[in-house]
Amino acid sequence: MSIPRPQGPPGAWFDQRFGVGPELLRRVMQAALHSGADDCDLYFEHAASTSVSLSDHKVNAASTRVDLGMGVRVVVGDQVGFAFTEELTAEAMIAAARTAAEIAAHGGQREVTGPVAVRISDWTPVTHPWDRVDMETRVAMVRGWEQRAFQRDPRVARVETHLADAAKVVMIVRPDGRLVEDWRPMTQGYVLTTAVDGDLRESSSYNVAGRAGLEYYDEGRQARLVDQAVDRTVFLLRAGKPPAGEMPVVLAAGPSAILLHEAIGHGMEADFNRKGTSIYASRMGQRIASEHVTIVDDGTIPGSRGAVNVDDEGNPGQRTTLVEGGVLRSYMHDEISARHYGVAPTGSGRRQGFRHAPLPRMRATVMEPGPHDPAEIIASVKRGIYCQTFSNGQVHIGGGDFAFYMKTGFLIEDGKLTMPIKDVNVIGNGPEALERIDMVGNDTVIDEGGWTCGKDGQGVPVSQGMPTVRVGRLNVGGVG
Amino acid sequence: MSASSTAPGGAPELDALLDIARQVVAIATSLGAEEALAGVGRSVSTELTRRDGRIEKAEESRSLGLRASLMVDGRFSAHATSDLRPDALREFLERAVQATRYLEPDPHRRLPDRHLMGDADIAALDAWDPGFAGQDGPIRRALVQDLEQATRAHAADLAVRSVSSFAWDGRSERASVASNGWESAWRSTSFGGGVTLSLEDEGGRLPESWSMSSARHRADVLGVEPIAAEAVRLGRNRLGSGPAASGRYPMLVESKLVGRVLGVLLGPMQGEALYEKRSCLEGRLGQRIASPRLTLVDDPLIPRAAGSSPHDGDGLPSRRRVLVQDGVLQEFLIDVYNGRRLGQPPTGGDTGNLVVAPGTSSPERLLAGLPRAIRVEGFLGGNTNATTGDFSFGVHGVRYEGGVPVQHVSEMNISGNLFELLERYADAADDVWTGSAWRTPSLLFDDIQFSGS
Repeated sequence: MSIPRPQGPPGAWFDQRFGVGPELLRRVMQAALHSGADDCDLYFEHAASTSVSLSDHKVNAASTRVDLGMGVRVVVGDQVGFAFTEELTAEAMIAAARTAAEIAAHGGQREVTGPVAVRISDWTPVTHPWDRVDMETRVAMVRGWEQRAFQRDPRVARVETHLADAAKVVMIVRPDGRLVEDWRPMTQGYVLTTAVDGDLRESSSYNVAGRAGLEYYDEGRQARLVDQAVDRTVFLLRAGKPPAGEMPVVLAAGPSAILLHEAIGHGMEADFNRKGTSIYASRMGQRIASEHVTIVDDGTIPGSRGAVNVDDEGNPGQRTTLVEGGVLRSYMHDEISARHYGVAPTGSGRRQGFRHAPLPRMRATVMEPGPHDPAEIIASVKRGIYCQTFSNGQVHIGGGDFAFYMKTGFLIEDGKLTMPIKDVNVIGNGPEALERIDMVGNDTVIDEGGWTCGKDGQGVPVSQGMPTVRVGRLNVGGVG
Repeated sequence: MSASSTAPGGAPELDALLDIARQVVAIATSLGAEEALAGVGRSVSTELTRRDGRIEKAEESRSLGLRASLMVDGRFSAHATSDLRPDALREFLERAVQATRYLEPDPHRRLPDRHLMGDADIAALDAWDPGFAGQDGPIRRALVQDLEQATRAHAADLAVRSVSSFAWDGRSERASVASNGWESAWRSTSFGGGVTLSLEDEGGRLPESWSMSSARHRADVLGVEPIAAEAVRLGRNRLGSGPAASGRYPMLVESKLVGRVLGVLLGPMQGEALYEKRSCLEGRLGQRIASPRLTLVDDPLIPRAAGSSPHDGDGLPSRRRVLVQDGVLQEFLIDVYNGRRLGQPPTGGDTGNLVVAPGTSSPERLLAGLPRAIRVEGFLGGNTNATTGDFSFGVHGVRYEGGVPVQHVSEMNISGNLFELLERYADAADDVWTGSAWRTPSLLFDDIQFSGS
């Protein structure tokens, strides 16, 4: 089940299918603004997804999901009223709008104009959309991944594979008349393997994800999906635990950007700064990292999981420089924080879906290449660890302490990668870690994994990228 | 099918959901499904947030959604939709049945035998507060105001950056219908309140702490004072924190956090992990896996408790069971599907409330008996390898010497293996937390590896 790219003019999708046309939109908007407010948005969403799974040698499970509904947000200053409905009738939508408006009893009057369609860029170049892919193709793909996994290494004992695709049409309507319609495809391939060697047993997985159609799975990507899953699993069979304590940490290019996301990215979301609860709240324009460090948050990387043609408040996707040459240049803003700071929104207002109100969120957070050769970075460490792959992370925004879980890596001894290591939590303080990034590689890689960022109970798809870097000191949760 | 009613839930509302579920089963079987299980859920909830003296956010959620599992020609699929317009629903089910036919048959995917399905005593669960009105605006506004004021009063000697308080209430109703004739419908209410405190600390740090209480009945929500006092106690313990020296320490895990530690056990107990050879507990049934002091009970029948329910996801009636008795693994969590794959009767794949019986000493008294210890008051990141039992978590809390708090610690990790951890379980305090599905006291573990400075 999938939603095709809309062929009609913006607004036609919800008008033709659900009877939500210009006149009804005006009535709902008037209900949202009836007691006065600074702003509001109507967010409509029609989403469908399909997944196919293989386990125990059989393609024996599939699932489909359809989500339909709309959310109304009413804003007075920094105060927010929000309600949603899954029923797109005039009665239900106007009731939701009136509920959201209850917060706005003292707001100013606001005229409702429009709606007028707004044209947007498209950072999701899909040539073979999922609505034109039959179930046999999906079944054959997950089957093929399984076969390759078993062929890759004789120690592979179990294989599970999974292919998911989704697409949604969203429509955002604003009281200034703007009507934006966007089509958002997404896919993810996932392979989980278990390997057995004597008494040792390990499981691990790899996944690839992007805003793309079937064309995403070219031969190279499908091979990498499977080979990485198998190679990571058998790697664990020979890996041990690193020593415990503080030590230099070298982060491999690509997925190591989880450090960027947790240690730095969240603290630069403007809502925490507007409320004064981020450790970066008073650091704008100050040096917060070495001159080698430039960090952007970019919604315009074609096909990336974090790409946004338009954010969920109707502002165009864009590239925001957060840190330039070590100096803090911008937060990530939604409209509320942009008004608070008197700056333009950065297209960072995102939401999980119609059941949630938007917040400032990351898109693709990337550290730009620096001057150092990756080999030189490893060679510079007398004793430390090299973190290669990761599973998850977390941050305390105000205190700044963050953690990420390293799945695989190596010990570094006398400038060389030695013992394979696994399963260790690495912890530090974000601003300190940023200051301690003293070498930055010239090899930035955008990770292709399907990262989802959680905040206030909302998950949104994100991407992240990083060159090889050296962090002078972090706490490694090893043993001994 | 409207989600717009705010009347207190009654039998007619559950009947309406049952009707939808019956229609779904009837349509699916008419389209060629030999078996179907449909669940329809409706929920309404309202949350109010106040920050630094004024209302920040008022949010109302009204949801109605369907989940359906289908067995078609011996093949299995699962589906969900929030588009319940009759024409759309029929088209959705047509496509779902059609998609299922492309899969491979799986003889283990069948409904449980009808005689295995049923409900525990729903009335005895007492999950519905008859006082729920769904229009409790003044109560929420008073609660968030009182929470903020009480928190500021407790933190009067501290540099407060921000106080955010929140209150919510809600109801949910669920109906399930299986094509073999099993039906169930029940409803519950939920109430809660809490506060987040941001403090100013040295070095520009702004550590946060929070505390909340939630319950099925409004009367069971903790009062404003204990919630506020707890948030301020935890906030105070975050000030001036840093890593202690690496080493092995006794570890006291606060009651509210025990689920993060003992929860490591639940993944490898699952039937799927066992069948897929991803469980470090495979072959350990009947063996000692923990200190003989540890007994862990799963009890989904505790009245008014967060994890209580009349049946599990397969429709098997909820029952109390001992998972670990005196350190010996007594039972796995085997759902119907994985039970068939493993050739075993199902034991139930879901857990309800996880219970460790309290001891007789307060956490402070337990700490007083130790030359040194770390009291864990929060986790940060970390993960578990269910296949090997290895784990590693970030922690913060307080270091004690001779029962006296001597250092606020953060940026530390604990690491080890599940079996070592469980073997080192030493004692339970007397402070059972009842605000979540983990109903345990604070637990003391001996000799845990901490990495710090």
